[in-house]
Amino acid sequence: MSKFIETFKKMGNDSLNQDKRNQKIVFWLFLFPSLFSFAMVQIIPFAIGIYYSFTNWSATAQFSIDFVGLKNYFDAFQDPAFLYATIITSVYTILNIMLVNVIAFSLALLVTSQLKGRNIYRAGFFLPNIIGGIILGYIWQFIFNYFVPRIAAMAGFTYLAENLMLGNSNTAILAMVIVSTWQSAGYIMMIYVAALQNVPRDLIEAAQIDGANAWQRFRNITVPMVSQAFTVTLFLTLVNSFKQFDVNVSLTNGGPSTMFMGRAIKGTTLLAMNISDTSTISLNTAQAQAKAIIFFLVLVTFSLIQVYISKKREVEL
Amino acid sequence: MFKNINNRIILKNIAEMLTIGLVVLFLVPLFLVLINAAKTNNEIIQTPLSLPTDWSILWKNITNIWSNPNLRYSQALVNSTVITVFSLLGITIFSAMAAWVLLRTKTKTSMAIFMLFVAAMVIPFQVVMFPLVKWFGIFQSFTGIQMLRSYTGIIIAYIGFGSSLSIFMFHGFMKSIPHEIEEAAYMDGCGKFKTFFLIVLPILKPIYVTILILNGIWIWNDFLLPMLVLGKGTPVQTLPLAVNNFAGAFLVSWDLMMTAILMALVPIIVFFLMAQKHIIKGMVEGSVK
Amino acid sequence: MKKILTIISMLLVVLSLTACAPKQEEQVVITFKQNKPEIDEALQAYAAAYEEATGVKVNVVSCGGGSCTLGDMLKADYAAGEMPDIFPIDGPDSYKQWEAIIADLSGEKWVSDTSVEYVVDGKVVGFPVAVEGWGMAYNADLLKKAGIDPSTLNNYQAYVDAFVKLDGMKAELGIDSVVSMAAGPGMYWVTAHHNFNSLLSNGVSYGDLSVANKFLAGNIDQTRLNDYANWVSLLFKYADKTVLTTGNYDSQVGAFLNQKAVFLHQGNWVDGNLTAATFDMAFAPHGSSTAVTDGIFVSAPAWYVVNKDSKNYQAALDFLNNLVYTELGQKYMVEDAGMIPAFVNIELKPKGKLSQSVQSWTADGKVYSWNQYLFAGEFRDNVLGPIYDQLAQGAVSVDKFVELFKTALTDNAK
Repeated sequence: MSKFIETFKKMGNDSLNQDKRNQKIVFWLFLFPSLFSFAMVQIIPFAIGIYYSFTNWSATAQFSIDFVGLKNYFDAFQDPAFLYATIITSVYTILNIMLVNVIAFSLALLVTSQLKGRNIYRAGFFLPNIIGGIILGYIWQFIFNYFVPRIAAMAGFTYLAENLMLGNSNTAILAMVIVSTWQSAGYIMMIYVAALQNVPRDLIEAAQIDGANAWQRFRNITVPMVSQAFTVTLFLTLVNSFKQFDVNVSLTNGGPSTMFMGRAIKGTTLLAMNISDTSTISLNTAQAQAKAIIFFLVLVTFSLIQVYISKKREVEL
Repeated sequence: MFKNINNRIILKNIAEMLTIGLVVLFLVPLFLVLINAAKTNNEIIQTPLSLPTDWSILWKNITNIWSNPNLRYSQALVNSTVITVFSLLGITIFSAMAAWVLLRTKTKTSMAIFMLFVAAMVIPFQVVMFPLVKWFGIFQSFTGIQMLRSYTGIIIAYIGFGSSLSIFMFHGFMKSIPHEIEEAAYMDGCGKFKTFFLIVLPILKPIYVTILILNGIWIWNDFLLPMLVLGKGTPVQTLPLAVNNFAGAFLVSWDLMMTAILMALVPIIVFFLMAQKHIIKGMVEGSVK
Repeated sequence: MKKILTIISMLLVVLSLTACAPKQEEQVVITFKQNKPEIDEALQAYAAAYEEATGVKVNVVSCGGGSCTLGDMLKADYAAGEMPDIFPIDGPDSYKQWEAIIADLSGEKWVSDTSVEYVVDGKVVGFPVAVEGWGMAYNADLLKKAGIDPSTLNNYQAYVDAFVKLDGMKAELGIDSVVSMAAGPGMYWVTAHHNFNSLLSNGVSYGDLSVANKFLAGNIDQTRLNDYANWVSLLFKYADKTVLTTGNYDSQVGAFLNQKAVFLHQGNWVDGNLTAATFDMAFAPHGSSTAVTDGIFVSAPAWYVVNKDSKNYQAALDFLNNLVYTELGQKYMVEDAGMIPAFVNIELKPKGKLSQSVQSWTADGKVYSWNQYLFAGEFRDNVLGPIYDQLAQGAVSVDKFVELFKTALTDNAK
């Protein structure tokens, strides 16, 4: 009898193991294409890049590549421009996160409501995301250098009429925030739109029947439902702001100069541009690698903290 | 006060006006691109704000770009389309698959891999730029699979770079799909593959199309990665590579650049408008029940 | 199941496309990269004609200006193992980057026909792309109208007098400012590369590096520096504020083209941007010294080097020789690409008025050298550029400017 039970148990276990094995196969099978491509272009090159940061690699024709240990990292921390870039990037990031998310969410609410032209509006807000590079810089430089002063003069804002926003490093940072908000609000809006579309209509209808007004419905149903989109958008805006390069280069080119620690330096060079300049202007590609890895470690810490906190606040259906 | 129907209509109209105003404001720079594409280079530099006097210049620019033998624009258009389409298919399908198993499998390995994908979004491109090219070169000499200067390499590259964000977003939105739906499918005898492709994926349509659009824009306009992996002046060129020479070191052909941007914009707008209705048809009715 | 089949067939299609890599033919192919996209069309046409004449195919790739950085492209080529056969360097910084693979060209025929080849340790390694020069470009018609003789503009006081006079005649001449000068971000090369050279080389005989070397060693000639600072301050004072602080290349040159400024602080490369100009123009010397400095700054802006590991080394050498000694090559360089030839055997003259002015100053022997390359690009872009910018913004006084400049130079010497 016990043998029967044992065999029976084993059969059950076998099928359980088989199931587990199948699950494992499916897991790796589903994961493989993404993981392979990801390893090929991100993991392996990054590992190579980390190795290079401990050498005097220049990416050009060298007689030899020599190991220098932590020298590039020490030098990076002692570079005033790197320190300044860290400060200014943090300021820019905080401003940008706030502005982009507030505007993107408001726009998303507008284009998912019952407005007549909402499809066209959606497209309209999203199109700025397509313009980049030197055209972006050219158009917006023209707007800030000629358009804004003239309009400000007509409206009586003498400060703006006489002082160019791009002519002073502090206002130039604000200009960058404006341009990058313009460029990415539509992008972030699309994510909020997808989330808002997910809010089940019957829940809202039930609440309406129960007598909840628009604000209560918004606060108690819509907002929690959208919170998982919020994790995504907060993370994206944090990371993208910290990594900002394109608008930086094309709009301000590292910016008008300013005084920092007693010397004149470029006033709006964010971290990504500082890293790039370290490679192309200072011709110190290995140090640029070290800076980039420091950048990575700092940002990864911040963003993982942010994701962790956000996920805790999410409401799972 | 809001219960009054007249007031509600007035409020709606105000909201509509406000939105139209915002859209117009947002599109001013694009409008500047449009009017400047129909001017000569000198006119653009002297009077960027003026309306064009001769719209036929726009047509002349378009035909110039299209038929210029040095640009091979139509070939670049085909290449860009092929690369974008295949990369998008790869990114979206593979990322959705990966996100799903990463979400449904609650092991430490699965969490670690997910975190790896997310953390990679933080890597600045400068770090991997040149090692990537070097690695592709080494890989192709060892395996014989052409990675540089070929479709394979660039498509794998896009799948690799696009998977982090896409997996992250799919992961975030897949959480709202209740387990009951999938369990019901298993009860009905569906295997994992069927469950995923026939039940889960259709529910994700809005976010799927959103991810398609977000990745599509980036890939279509991308210059740097194709410059590194495909090379400039090589047989396989994308649109941004082909039109890059308009920006000279001293002499920039703004008129041709603006026109080229408009030409690249058209497929994006068409794609966006077509994709819109798939986002709208949400999962609101039916699937939860 | 259908979806899986779609994926698999898709992968197969993609893999099969890899089989479509073009086959290598027996034809000799050389790759030639350069960093001025605006002459790409002329270069492609020349390459096509060259292939017809010699059977050698020349792959021309232009990368420069906006989003393409030739330096990055060369690094990527090197990483891919596909270094071009001929590519440009622009001075000691880029020479050091590629030193390990640059060939010695001392034995080439064209070496004896030029005086601006790139020499390192006694060996010739660089083929001069062209001759370029800058000074103060002036609108001859407007100067005539104001009654100023450009041949007197060769010292600081003359410029002060001229600027004051012109500034008082702004409405009459229809100009916005006397000088079109740029010192803002993206234009640091105008101040920290070109204008800076006045400090190092104005009034010093050609090739004499003693003055420059003193500054390099931190040995500051205070008088010379003060005079120079006054010159910079003069230029900034009479420049259009918007162009000076935030203008880009097009707005700076555009102001001169549209006769909104009498002087332009640029070189003969702007000829390509001034084809629509209706007035006469030429160069005058810089007035960075109280003494007379009767000359403009002339040299080669870049040099082509040959990859010594090139698979078609001789074909690359032939290509360079043909540029100098064949009618086709000469026509391309001077007429199609609009460059001043760096070789004495070439008699063609470029059409641009400023280029012709450079040639006339050169013919008179009234030239000063380009010494700014003694200082690293990093120093000029990251340290000096912002200092000029501060002065341009009006954030510092001229005295503070001199102080910052002096500190920067002495720090650099350490």
